[in-house]
Amino acid sequence: MLSEHKSPDLSRIGEVVEATSISFTVHCYELHLGAPLGALIKTDTPEIFAVVNNVSTSSIDPTRRPVARGQDEKDSDSVYLHNPQLKKLLKTEIHALIVGHKDNNNLHQYLPALPPRIHAFAHHCNIDDLRKFTQKLGFLPLLLEGPPTLADEITSAFLRQAALTHPDPDSFLFTSGQEVAQLLGNDLRRLNSLLRRLK
Amino acid sequence: MSIDIHKLQFNLDALASRLKGQASQRRNRLQQAIRQMGYLNGQVINEKRMRGKFAWPIPTFPSNPTSHYATMLPPQDYSVLATDGSRIDIDDELPVKCALLNISKVLLNYGFTPNAELSSESQFFTEDDQLFFTDTSSTRSQILDKPLLGLKSSVEELVSLAELAENSNSKVPTLALVDGSLILWGQTIQAYPDYISQILINETFLPALDKLKKITSSRPLILAGYISLPASTGVADGLRLSICPYEPVSCDYHCGHLERGKRECDSIGGFLDRDLFSHILQPGQRSDLFVSTSSIVREYYGGHAISFYYLNTGEEIARIEVPKWIAENENLLNLSHSLILDQCEKGLGYPVALMEAHEQAVIPQHDRELFRQMIEETLEKEHVSVYTSQKTRSKKLRSL
Repeated sequence: MLSEHKSPDLSRIGEVVEATSISFTVHCYELHLGAPLGALIKTDTPEIFAVVNNVSTSSIDPTRRPVARGQDEKDSDSVYLHNPQLKKLLKTEIHALIVGHKDNNNLHQYLPALPPRIHAFAHHCNIDDLRKFTQKLGFLPLLLEGPPTLADEITSAFLRQAALTHPDPDSFLFTSGQEVAQLLGNDLRRLNSLLRRLK
Repeated sequence: MSIDIHKLQFNLDALASRLKGQASQRRNRLQQAIRQMGYLNGQVINEKRMRGKFAWPIPTFPSNPTSHYATMLPPQDYSVLATDGSRIDIDDELPVKCALLNISKVLLNYGFTPNAELSSESQFFTEDDQLFFTDTSSTRSQILDKPLLGLKSSVEELVSLAELAENSNSKVPTLALVDGSLILWGQTIQAYPDYISQILINETFLPALDKLKKITSSRPLILAGYISLPASTGVADGLRLSICPYEPVSCDYHCGHLERGKRECDSIGGFLDRDLFSHILQPGQRSDLFVSTSSIVREYYGGHAISFYYLNTGEEIARIEVPKWIAENENLLNLSHSLILDQCEKGLGYPVALMEAHEQAVIPQHDRELFRQMIEETLEKEHVSVYTSQKTRSKKLRSL
């Protein structure tokens, strides 16, 4: 059971509880919080970068399911106020696709040799991290992999957030669109759909 | 081979038909019993019981046994403590004797600063002084068999509850809940020599009750045992005394030769207490207090004598047991009523603190298998031979 004590590092989201070569899952310290879809996060030691492609909240014990408790409550906050055990029995997890890593302070936009360790801390990336990471777009093939609808949704969300960290967001989005066009040139329908999301 | 489904269905159909035939008679008897309870003077029952020899153990009745009380609104700020236990019994199939108790502790704070603490702690029994109860005045000893480990679990749950209460500095009303009876099972414990009762009750259980009572003297702590779907018949059996024509009552002497159903008192007998109170209590109401006359309580409990009331939680009739020092404090007794009801509401029919205590204590099947596996592997690593009975082996192999 995770402690309710505040992490000394406010950028810390949680800890890695599952890891593969292409993705990892973070158990978030705070219920219903973590990182939004499309956000760039990183682990520590080694620094591995990943983009959030799923956020879920569920029971810690898979054999127990939440049930409706708020029929007589005025709002959902009251459900938690009047059932303090719920915060100890539910968990929020984020699943993220690995898009790069640092090695001797060099940033690489390909998969690391090894996934992060279990219990590695996961952190938010700040504006500076995001801008530096997206100076190059070599990570795009990794993001576009997988079921198209979800991959496109995540890619466009990530690029929209990254654009805001660049001095000229429109220019960044235009450049990103060109790069996406090269990768999805054979699938015009998908390409158009994704480009529309970049506006 | 699987069971004979057709034969089973035939028997079930016959059973259902018989029950249906008896339903109308049962309804009439129940209505008669409830009417009789309305006329009852509890003091008369108590005097008759004390003068005679009655076949059924019945509690001390309040003067009006059909009295009922509505609940007050619970305080906004309150705490609940609960414990529960789960166990792995000694397995004769293993080459070493060992057992395990897993005791959970739950603390829930409601109100201005809601909070929850859920945990459990295991106790492993592997040494002789843990696996055997020894009579210090003789050479007798008793192994921690299944029923005894169950008793020990009940005792340890109360000990943990007392520790939880001591460590909680809460000044708000605090409900300390036990799952089940506060009376250690009379028949179970009486099957063992007296020194077992001495160890379990006098040396462990009663000191925990003393601790809880002491805490209650300085802040509002309410100890209660919650019994879901109680099978007790004490009150229902006490009704029989009210229509017994004999004075003094002596069941064996006057009616020992009669078949069941032919005795005078059978016209309102055969019910559970909850059958009666489901017709007396509205949702949210509790009954008046009855006092247990269990031989274990009379002999050992002293100032912790147990009283009980029935409570209509809205979903069921539950039996709530409280020690004397709660029963005699009207404020704490009323708090037990309102807090338990609130817990049942939050737990969708069962006290949520007890539900969470159970979840923390339960040992899943895969953990039980892992426990066995770890013992076997550890022994094999130390080159201690591991065996199993041929019976168990044959069950696993199921060879043709």
